[in-house]
Amino acid sequence: MAGVILYALMRFRWREGEPDPEQVAGNRAVEVTWTAIPCVIVIALFILTAKTMSLSDPPPAPTPDLVVVGHQWWWEARYVRSGAVAANEIHIPVGRAMSVELDSADVLHEFWVPELARKITAVPGHPNHIWLEADKPGTYLGVCSEFCGTQHAWMHFLVVAESPADFASWQAAQLRPAAAPSAPLAREGLALFERTSCMNCHAIGGTAAVARVGPDLTHLASREQLGAGIIANTPANLRRWLADPQEVKVGAKMPGFKFTDQQLGQLVAYFETLK
Amino acid sequence: MSTGQFLLEGWTWGGASLPVGAAALALYLAAFGFRRRLGYFAAAVGLALATFMSPVGTLADGYLFSAHMLQHIALLLVVPALALLGLPRAQSLALRPRAAGHPVVAWVAGVGAMWVWHAPALCNAAVTSGPVHALQTVSLLLLGALFWRPILAPREEERLPPPQAILYLFGACVACSVLGIILTLSPVTVCSVYAAPVDRLGLLHTLRDGWGMTPERDQQIGGLLMWVPMCFIYLSAIMAQVARWFAGAGSPEAREA
Amino acid sequence: MSDLSAILARAGLATPEEREHWTMRWISTVDHKRIGMLYLVTSLAFFAVGGIEALLIRLQLAVPNNKLLQPDTYNMVFTMHGTTMIFLVAMPALFGLANFVVPLQIGASDMAFPRLNAFSFWLVPFGGVLLHLSILAGGAPAVGWFAYAPLSEMPYSSHHGVDYWALSLLVLGFGSVGTSINLIATVLTQRAAHMTLRRLPLFSWMIFVNSFLVILALPVLNAGLAMLLIDRLLGAHFFLPPGGGSAIMWQHIFWAFGHPEVYIVAIPAFGILSEVIPVFSRKPIFGYEFVAGSTVAIAFLSLLVWAHHMFTVGLGHTVDLFFVASTMLIAVPTGVKVLAWSATMVGGRIRLETPMLFCVAALVQFLLAGLTGVSLAAAALDWQAKNTYYLVAHFHFVFVGLIVFAILGALHYWFPKMTGRMLSERLGKWTFWLMTIGFNMTFIIQHFLGLAGMPRRVYTYADLPGWGWMNMVSTVGAFLMAAAALVLAWNLAASLWGGRRAGDNPWNAWTLEWATTSPPPPLNFERLPAIRSRRPLWDAANPGRPDPVVGTRWKADTFAPEKNRTAVTTFIISESGFFAVLILAYLFYNARPQPGPSAHDLDVAKTGLFSLCLFASSLTLWLSEVSLQKGRRGAMRAWLAATVVLGAVFLLGQGLEYRGLLASGARIGTNLFASTFFTLTGFHGLHVCVGLVALLIVLALTRAAGPGPGRPAALRAVALYWHFVDAVWVVVFSAIYLLPRLR
Repeated sequence: MAGVILYALMRFRWREGEPDPEQVAGNRAVEVTWTAIPCVIVIALFILTAKTMSLSDPPPAPTPDLVVVGHQWWWEARYVRSGAVAANEIHIPVGRAMSVELDSADVLHEFWVPELARKITAVPGHPNHIWLEADKPGTYLGVCSEFCGTQHAWMHFLVVAESPADFASWQAAQLRPAAAPSAPLAREGLALFERTSCMNCHAIGGTAAVARVGPDLTHLASREQLGAGIIANTPANLRRWLADPQEVKVGAKMPGFKFTDQQLGQLVAYFETLK
Repeated sequence: MSTGQFLLEGWTWGGASLPVGAAALALYLAAFGFRRRLGYFAAAVGLALATFMSPVGTLADGYLFSAHMLQHIALLLVVPALALLGLPRAQSLALRPRAAGHPVVAWVAGVGAMWVWHAPALCNAAVTSGPVHALQTVSLLLLGALFWRPILAPREEERLPPPQAILYLFGACVACSVLGIILTLSPVTVCSVYAAPVDRLGLLHTLRDGWGMTPERDQQIGGLLMWVPMCFIYLSAIMAQVARWFAGAGSPEAREA
Repeated sequence: MSDLSAILARAGLATPEEREHWTMRWISTVDHKRIGMLYLVTSLAFFAVGGIEALLIRLQLAVPNNKLLQPDTYNMVFTMHGTTMIFLVAMPALFGLANFVVPLQIGASDMAFPRLNAFSFWLVPFGGVLLHLSILAGGAPAVGWFAYAPLSEMPYSSHHGVDYWALSLLVLGFGSVGTSINLIATVLTQRAAHMTLRRLPLFSWMIFVNSFLVILALPVLNAGLAMLLIDRLLGAHFFLPPGGGSAIMWQHIFWAFGHPEVYIVAIPAFGILSEVIPVFSRKPIFGYEFVAGSTVAIAFLSLLVWAHHMFTVGLGHTVDLFFVASTMLIAVPTGVKVLAWSATMVGGRIRLETPMLFCVAALVQFLLAGLTGVSLAAAALDWQAKNTYYLVAHFHFVFVGLIVFAILGALHYWFPKMTGRMLSERLGKWTFWLMTIGFNMTFIIQHFLGLAGMPRRVYTYADLPGWGWMNMVSTVGAFLMAAAALVLAWNLAASLWGGRRAGDNPWNAWTLEWATTSPPPPLNFERLPAIRSRRPLWDAANPGRPDPVVGTRWKADTFAPEKNRTAVTTFIISESGFFAVLILAYLFYNARPQPGPSAHDLDVAKTGLFSLCLFASSLTLWLSEVSLQKGRRGAMRAWLAATVVLGAVFLLGQGLEYRGLLASGARIGTNLFASTFFTLTGFHGLHVCVGLVALLIVLALTRAAGPGPGRPAALRAVALYWHFVDAVWVVVFSAIYLLPRLR
């Protein structure tokens, strides 16, 4: 098409003094033909699309392997069979298709791992399903692709595909409650955690904290990132986050608690034990 | 019964369909003789027979709402249109009283036939009761013919002028789309007999598990058929009207003016 | 200020005697040409605002992890950018062109309703200012231009930005519907003799078809906005899942409007291409009938494809497939158009002046937009590309690549007619090349960004391989476009001040607007050329080889109904769309039983009795019309008064029904039954009130003067509206009162 236009532009230029050309107002046969041909193309494309759709997105399993819940602005993942809970980091065994149910705790979110699966919206009150499968081990980046408010940009998550054996041991580790810390500084951190309002939102297995508003922290230190991808999970960054989450991620639902330096040290020491 | 078996055995040869179809053709030949337009009429009869005798007819008979919808659309929109096209050009379709042929009446007839037969009680009755089903079939064909008359009447002067015809068809499309939208998005079952069919052919397992036709999906497809492909039928008719309007652009004669 | 008046006077846009009070003259104008120009000026002003917002977006995204804008600021900026560009730039620009051009092209002296025209125009700046007032009232909306629920609901957007957004869209929507009713009435009732419907120039034809799309689509949005506002301000739960509402319902309603909206701005652009390309190829359009007919098909199909915006929301494959089919089908009539424009150029003598340059670029860019569009229609690809920069690039190729380029082409094409002065070709070519290079630089690369996985609407992004430089290229391109806009502004100003005189027909074009002076006199034409074909000026200039005569075979060709009835009929079509959405919402939300008040608490017998009063009032009004026809003024007024009384009695009945419900503790936010019931009957009651006021006005008019000329038309128009309001009640009464008792 572009070729025809280019050809017309080069070949049929007006030069000074030329009269108007022959006044062709159309040609019924040509017009009918070029209406019919796109019709055929469209039908072919439609059939192709229908086939791809059923291939790439088969109907869901009766019970999902994994329930993923979108929150403003992080992802919660619950393994239905084992009961393991993760946040912003989903582990899957290589070569096995996982049936995933998508849900939302607040507004619309959209679950998208470009390299592994189609995207699907997380709609409150309307669970959706997709299949998630990786052929090769590796870490794949996932994002939220439906605008969901202030920190839509930082609602990343990682999908870690690993061998079935590694996956099994990861899942077993995730199921273990947090061990009581032995180092004194970390013990003070736990005490501080239980004393302040952290427990209103977060859960840590093995402690009194069971709230599900914010991410489960039982295995916080095992994760690669903090704040749904905004910073790497290092002790220094964790300290920065605890000191003032709003400085790191404006609008995040976690308020700043104005901890003292000493308290920050205690908390970081404790959280670093949560492998 | 498996899918293959059903496609082979799901045909209904008995019943009144074949004799009635043959009679219709014979009547046509007796009235108008053999002419080229017979092709349209034969297509109308053929399609009508197919909707009853083919596996679609069997499915529509209590198994699938979507198959029923296909039948409904064919009988109301396609068969009467083809039949009208099959009439000789000179045949007048003047109605008495004249009000019966008024476009508003015809429009209400066509759209009403769509809506009224999908009231839950009537929809169920048409499946469970033979006489009601027969009444439904006859009324769809007649009301469909009444609906198409202002568009496809053989004589030009009995048709609506193109712009009015476009409005007429567009309005009908919107009215049927609204019903299609209700059926598609409705969280409740509209036609309950299809939700729990009497499995007289041992087919239900194939439909539910093999084809994945849950009652919800079945109703959704029924609604979508009414919403989207039916609009394609109206759109084709609208484009035919546009073509009719623009055809003969060069002819200066003022036939109507 | 006096300088400006001098410029206007030089450009022939203010007569010498107007120079003193030119501001008042322009503000109070009802002349379609001036209103058209006011629309364009408004559009250009908001184009500057939306453009600055676009530059802010591109600056923020120029480098990874940028901290130029706060996240919420960025979210407000892109929301305002989208809303502004669509509702305050594209729509007003196209309405402005339609306003200026259509009456001229059809040989009319003005629009059918000049004062309605002025009113509809002034709603645009009013709506625009209202939208921007949100910034002072706690912050602009930050929900995207389609304001997906539940993010746009009170719990997640608690400041008033969304309320301002919804209200201003309602205001703008009324204006759009008003203008479109006016345009339909103008084309149907104001055409010059012999300008039959089949001889309409393609631009006017497409505006005519498009206006129907506007009056059908906008009311759907209005209904959705009303429901959103009721949620936000009165505590209902239409779109809030925790209260039983449905987030997906908002998407259905929004896109039932939103997809036609894309075509509402695209079809006039098609019309521009269909005017400019033939003139600058020196050939008639190739296949007028196919181009005109495909417009009808596009308009029709555009109402039937909205669910393709929802392929990822989980409607299921069944639904998706139907909408894949209908969406792909749109490619056919669109392709027919593209082929027709290209074939028009083949064998022509192409003059590449600025208007043609813009239109050819629009055509080529639209080709690419069409290709990416078909790829997005394939649901399987949409599941990857949706909500990424691939989609952003696609719709910018439509909105900028096609529509803005076509508008710029139109501006260069018709500016000489508006002002009597030519724009500078040299500056025009600068604008064109800066714009074209800038545009393609900005948006071609965004396709690749999208395929690399960059989601839209992120205020920043991580430093992933390739993302940084690609975004930087895009940003640089945006600034080239800004430079083009500056050159354009300079060109416009310089031309107004001292541009070359245009003469009546600088492009040697063929439609009627070029048969009058530039700028045209207040009533447009002193004398019209003979109209026998679609190109009257070609026939006049080439008596030796005129176009074939387009016949007047159909009565419909010369169809020219009474204008008041036309307007009310059109208005009724529009209102039907509004009520259809509310009634569908009622049926959807009440399909399942729910705790709290329900339809079974209503008193059918009593309301049925009051309904009979309303139905009877249609009868009395009909009798009044009959009396008018027979010239019996007394009887006419008596029946009219009876109608008013019966209508008032019905309203009284509604009041009693409300009192009963309120006494039982039901409020509009109590449950979904209460929300839908009060919304539906409330809006119907509002229409009854409007009808009563109109009837009272007619009653008063008939007292003041005899049934002089114009009065019968007024009565018939109001009667039509009143019958419609009654007909709506038949449906509403059946849905609310009768249906639950059938089950």
